[in-house]
Amino acid sequence: MTRADDRAAGVPRVLGDAWSLPRLDAHNRAFFTAGVLTLQQCTACEHVQHPPDDVCEACGGFDLGWLASAGDGRIESVAVVTQAIHPALAERVPYAIVLVSVADAPGVLVTGNVVGAEPDAIRIGDRVRVVFADARDPQSSAELRIPQWEIVAA
Amino acid sequence: MHGKAAIAGIGETTYYKHGESPHTEFQLACIAIRRAVEDAGLALTDVDGLVSFMDQRNVPVRLARALGLTELRFAATTWAAGGNSMASAIQLADAAVSSGHARHVVVFRALAQGQFGRFGQAGGSGGYAGLSGSLAWNGTYGMLTAAHQCALHTARFLHDHGISQEALCEIALACYANAQRNPRALRRGKPLTREAYHASRWIVKPFHLYDCCPENDGAAAAVVTTLERARDLPQRPATIVAAATGIGPQYGAFDMQHLGSAFYRQVGKHLWEQAGCGPADVDVAQFYENFTGPVLIALCEMGFCAPEGVEEFVSDGRLVGPDAAFPFNTSGGNLGEAYIHGFELVNESVRQIRGTSTCQVKKVERALVVAGPGYAPGSAALFGAPS
Repeated sequence: MTRADDRAAGVPRVLGDAWSLPRLDAHNRAFFTAGVLTLQQCTACEHVQHPPDDVCEACGGFDLGWLASAGDGRIESVAVVTQAIHPALAERVPYAIVLVSVADAPGVLVTGNVVGAEPDAIRIGDRVRVVFADARDPQSSAELRIPQWEIVAA
Repeated sequence: MHGKAAIAGIGETTYYKHGESPHTEFQLACIAIRRAVEDAGLALTDVDGLVSFMDQRNVPVRLARALGLTELRFAATTWAAGGNSMASAIQLADAAVSSGHARHVVVFRALAQGQFGRFGQAGGSGGYAGLSGSLAWNGTYGMLTAAHQCALHTARFLHDHGISQEALCEIALACYANAQRNPRALRRGKPLTREAYHASRWIVKPFHLYDCCPENDGAAAAVVTTLERARDLPQRPATIVAAATGIGPQYGAFDMQHLGSAFYRQVGKHLWEQAGCGPADVDVAQFYENFTGPVLIALCEMGFCAPEGVEEFVSDGRLVGPDAAFPFNTSGGNLGEAYIHGFELVNESVRQIRGTSTCQVKKVERALVVAGPGYAPGSAALFGAPS
């Protein structure tokens, strides 16, 4: 299977299908629906920033578009949650929250979960690539593709 | 600013475990304010200013009515933030008094989480009906509390500088040890050992249970006036030598530049510039411990040591007791005394200047209080003995 096919197939959501979904808005819609790691990019100066905002933090510009990232990243920090703070996560602990730097968006960190890895085995420095979990919001009927991460090399 | 204002009175309620206060939050606020004003030797009608932080509930008009503050002419709160703006509230009162906008400003914080719910359980048992704003970016992946956010900064800091779990343990041990001397402290009578620390459950690695401050009910308040007026009042004034806020990047966001930071480099720079002195001139320090890890980072960012030296700086009892190499969180802090959003640390700083702490350091000329680390904007205040 090619990498593109693999991505299209989708992966399970680390926190399970029962966990809450993001409420889509103009800033996060592309990130959570595109099926490609989509980051905000300034049309004028090409600076990439995350999370998106109304103004470019580099040049002050208002004309902001989107970068389709190749989705290659590196684990920059990891915290393993062992105490569920919500009943819907009780069966999901321990789970790892990671911060991922993105190769084609220097300076940016994306929050995420890692698919198919023991939480305690995830290390700062691990190379990862983006994968997507499909989800449908029962309230809004929105079809989501939630970016997650898969370790490609420790 | 620069030593024109001082704290002339302090007060607090009994501190309670979360949910155990017999009083409402508003009643707690009134008790603490009354006690601070009485401690200052003033009447409530002398109070003409009110400042708080992260407080949308105990609003000035309501307090004015309940307390008979008939001449209130200045009221302000810091830009929405949590315990990180505790010292910004002192800065606001300092600005109001030094500029003459008010004469006697009460700064306070009241918390009754039994009445209004806990920070660490955002969303409650009803579930999140869609994650919006910063929760969309973080909550979607299970990052829901300050503990999670601070754990990510701490994990990176420990990794980058080769710091062990023992450094976090030392912060908790010091706070618990100092709390044993303090009758106000909720953890008095419950000393902590290294073994108990390591045996305690994980909350979010690298934080054990004892790395996380409890959530409590109570209120604390302080009266800020000019140093000149304070000299005529009964208590020994604690001069506000400097008070600084450092505005950092947006709440809820991470970026490479600030990963592993507590957002205190700017605060330290502004504070020491304003004070005309440096970390070596501090006799006693109170650091807000939401979690132990960010305290280590804040110690470094405020200039007390380098990250490579911080484990040694906090180890071998160097933070414990009145004769500590670095007298630290002498009331027990958020971990040991009570979590009143750090305002109890302001009152402890004033006690150190007065010479009335239960863990009193000898010859205190400069007492530092550092607000909540790990979130921007951070803030800090330096108090001095009156010359």
